[in-house]
Amino acid sequence: MSDNSLWSQPIETLAPKIQKGNLSPVQLIDCLLDRIEKYDGLIKSFVTIGPDIRKQAIDAEKQIKEGRYKGPLHGVPIAVKDNYLTSDMQTKAGTSSEVNFPSEDSFCVAKLREAGAIIIGKTNMKEFAWGGDTPPTRNPWNTDCVPGGSSGGSGAAIAAGFVSAALGSDTGGSIRMPAGLCGTVGLKPTYGLIGRSGIVPHSWSLDHAGPLAATVADTVFVTEALQGYDENDPGNVNIKPQNFSEALGADVKNLKIGICRNHFFEGLETDVEKNVEVAIDDISKLGCEIVEFEVPNLEFGLGAIFAIELASSSAWHDPRIKKGLTSGYQKDVQTLVEIGQFITAIDYLKAEQFRRVLITEFKKIFNDINIIISPTLPLTAWRIGEHMVQIGESSESALAASWRLTYPWNLTGFPALSIPCGYDKKGLPVGLQLAAAPFKEADLFRLAYAYEKKAGWKALRATLKS
Amino acid sequence: MKDLDLIKDILGISLPPDRIEENQQSYKDILEEIKKLRTLDLSNEYPAVVFSLFTPNKEQNDER
Repeated sequence: MSDNSLWSQPIETLAPKIQKGNLSPVQLIDCLLDRIEKYDGLIKSFVTIGPDIRKQAIDAEKQIKEGRYKGPLHGVPIAVKDNYLTSDMQTKAGTSSEVNFPSEDSFCVAKLREAGAIIIGKTNMKEFAWGGDTPPTRNPWNTDCVPGGSSGGSGAAIAAGFVSAALGSDTGGSIRMPAGLCGTVGLKPTYGLIGRSGIVPHSWSLDHAGPLAATVADTVFVTEALQGYDENDPGNVNIKPQNFSEALGADVKNLKIGICRNHFFEGLETDVEKNVEVAIDDISKLGCEIVEFEVPNLEFGLGAIFAIELASSSAWHDPRIKKGLTSGYQKDVQTLVEIGQFITAIDYLKAEQFRRVLITEFKKIFNDINIIISPTLPLTAWRIGEHMVQIGESSESALAASWRLTYPWNLTGFPALSIPCGYDKKGLPVGLQLAAAPFKEADLFRLAYAYEKKAGWKALRATLKS
Repeated sequence: MKDLDLIKDILGISLPPDRIEENQQSYKDILEEIKKLRTLDLSNEYPAVVFSLFTPNKEQNDER
C-alpha cells in the first residue's frame, strides 16, 4: 500500500494507525526517505542518515504485531541535532574542524530508543550551537531565507515534511527560534526537567535539551519520552515524570495570561505584532483572563547572558584555543569562543547575581499569572547572508534581534514554548512564545493545544520544489 | 614585562596579537552591555553560581 501523504501527517495521526497495524513503520520510513532524497539536496537539513533505520522499522513492526507496543513514538522516525551523541552515527556538533566525540547514545537519544522511536538521522546545526543561523540549511518556506539557529536543521526538517519531530538544544533560544521561523512547535523545558548528558556542552547553566515538532501533541509525546532522572547531568532534577498528555484538551478557562509590554513587545516587525495581537485576542476568546504588566531590569539581561555564555563557552573550548585549533572554526564562531577570555570573574558573578534578581521578579509574577505570552522573535526569517536587519526605523544585527525575546527564559530557566500563530505578508511563519513557572509545562501544553485547535495553525508544512 | 603582556598573562590569553585586536573590536558592543550590568548594586543578591532552580534531588533531601 502506498500513501504519498504520510510525510505531512503528524505523530498524533500516524501513531494510532501504527498501533492498530493499519500503517507499517517500514512504509512510513520509506516515504520519508524518498522525500529526503528528493528535497534535502536543496534544504540541507540532514548531515547524516542513520545506518540501519529500515531494519529498525522492520523490527518495530514485528514488535507491534507481537503485542509489544511501546507508545506513540514506537516505529516513528525522529531526527536529532548533531550535538547529541549517538552510538551509530558520528557526532560533529556542526564543525568541520577535527573533533573526536564518543560513539555512545546521549541520555535523550537512549530515551527515544527506549520509547521505540527510530533515530532517522542527525540534523545540521550552527557550529558548536553558536548563533541564530544554520548554514548551509535553508528555510523550506522560502529557500532564500534562514531557518534560524542553532537547531536550524531540526526546524527545517519538520517544515519540509522529512520528520514530525526532532531534538534541538536551547542556550539562548536555539530551539524556539528555528521553531518560530520554520512554523513548528518548539519547547525549551524547565532547566533540570530533561537530562543533558551526552550533549556537546555550550554553556552549562544555560543549555536545555528539548523537542521541536509538527504539533503540540507531538511535542508532548516526545517530552514525555525524554523525562526521567539523568544521574550524569548535575543540573537534572530528580522528579516524578509527569503525564503531559492529560493537558491536551483540558479546560483553559481558568488560566490567567500575562502580557509583558516592556522588552517583549518592543521593536517588532509590523506583521509579527499584528499576528501576535490576533493570537492574544483568540486566547482571550478561549475564556482566559488577559492582564498586562511590566517587568523592571530586563535591559540588563543581554549583558548578563553574554557574560555567562561567552565565559562558559571559552572555558569549554579553552584547550582548543590554547592549541590554536579555533582557527579552523567558522570565523564568527572562532571570535565568539575566544572573546569569552575578556569576561572577568566579577562580570560573570554579577551576571549570576542578576539572574537571581530576574528569577525572583518572574516568580512573583507567576504567583498571580499562569502564562506569559509574547512573540518568539521580533521578526520573520531574514535572507541568507543578511547580517543586519531593518525592523521599523531601526537597523539591528540579525543575531541580536533573533534572540532578544527568547534569552530571558534561559537566564531564568523557566519553561517556554513556541507555536505558530500565522504568516507574514511574505508567507513566512510567525512564532508565538508562551512561558510558565518552573515545571509548569502542563500549563503551556494546555493553552498551546487549545489555541492550536482554535486558530488552526497546526502541522504546517512548506510546499517544496525539487 | 610590557603592560599588554601582563594583561594577557592575567587573563590567560595566548592568542597572537592580530587575533586579540580583532577580538577586541568584536567585543566592543558586548562590553557596552556588560558595562550596564556593572552599574547595578547587587551586593545583597546571592548569585546562581551553579545554577539550580531548586536543590537537586530535593525530594530525597526533604525526606532526610
